[in-house]
Amino acid sequence: MADLVLIENILQFIGAFVSLSIAAVAVKGFRQTGSPALLRLATAFAFLGVGFGVEGLVALGPFAAIFATTALVGGLLLETTGYFFLAFSHVIDVTIAKRRGLALLVFPFISLSSVQAVAALSILSFYFVLYGFVETFASYLKNRRPDTLLIAGGLALIGTGTFVQWLSLVYPPVDVLSQVLSLVQILMKEIGLMILFVPVIGFAMGARKLDGTV
Amino acid sequence: MVQYRTQVKIIADVLSTARDLNSEGEGVGVTALLRRANMSYGRISKLLSELVGSGLLEELSVEKTSKYIITTKGMQFLVAYQGFEDFAESFGLRL
Repeated sequence: MADLVLIENILQFIGAFVSLSIAAVAVKGFRQTGSPALLRLATAFAFLGVGFGVEGLVALGPFAAIFATTALVGGLLLETTGYFFLAFSHVIDVTIAKRRGLALLVFPFISLSSVQAVAALSILSFYFVLYGFVETFASYLKNRRPDTLLIAGGLALIGTGTFVQWLSLVYPPVDVLSQVLSLVQILMKEIGLMILFVPVIGFAMGARKLDGTV
Repeated sequence: MVQYRTQVKIIADVLSTARDLNSEGEGVGVTALLRRANMSYGRISKLLSELVGSGLLEELSVEKTSKYIITTKGMQFLVAYQGFEDFAESFGLRL
């Protein structure tokens, strides 16, 4: 059981690293081009990265028990906000989201218990990622780029992971099945995130090529 | 379905036109820019003054007409645009 928790921790921190790396590239792109699409992408992955990081820290145990539940729900809320920006980065205006979006997202969770909040956030994440998958797959049908199809596949895996996370809540936390499902969901999310990391690697290699030719 | 250009794409189109049509180094006129960038005179005039203001284009007065030359900063923008366009498209987004 302790091993499972340790593996989950490591995976959470890997998820945080991958997400924050994607966010860093998107921020660099936003600074150089001023593109709002890259700002939305950076916002999405920054939320995901911090969310994964907070969840990893909670499992490590530096928080007192009373804060651990709040921190866990907070981490999941950050993650869900990340999925929200990722899903709707095709359509939303980030300036509106900055003013009102966060308040709208936080408000309904104030009155929920931690288990209800985790369940609600998981299923919300699932819908956001599903929407992101549909949009990205539609983009692939237009541009026929293999890397867009790869990103759609990555989102499909993350979406399935969030659904499995929601399923894991059906069983008591001490149940082995709940622990296994929890590990499966984080593994699926991690593999999905690794796939999302591919354009960053491609970008880094392209940038090196450009540096060599300019 | 009609796909509208984003503001960043329009800027990249104007800058790449200014780069491509400036073979003799004397700058590119507004007419050539608006034809290639497919914009109205009113819109391109406003955009050109913004691009000159932000240092991406340089304005030259040649025989009472304005000509535009892409600056080093403008060239750097185009290089960054091309790099990040692929990155954004991978996520199904347009810059």
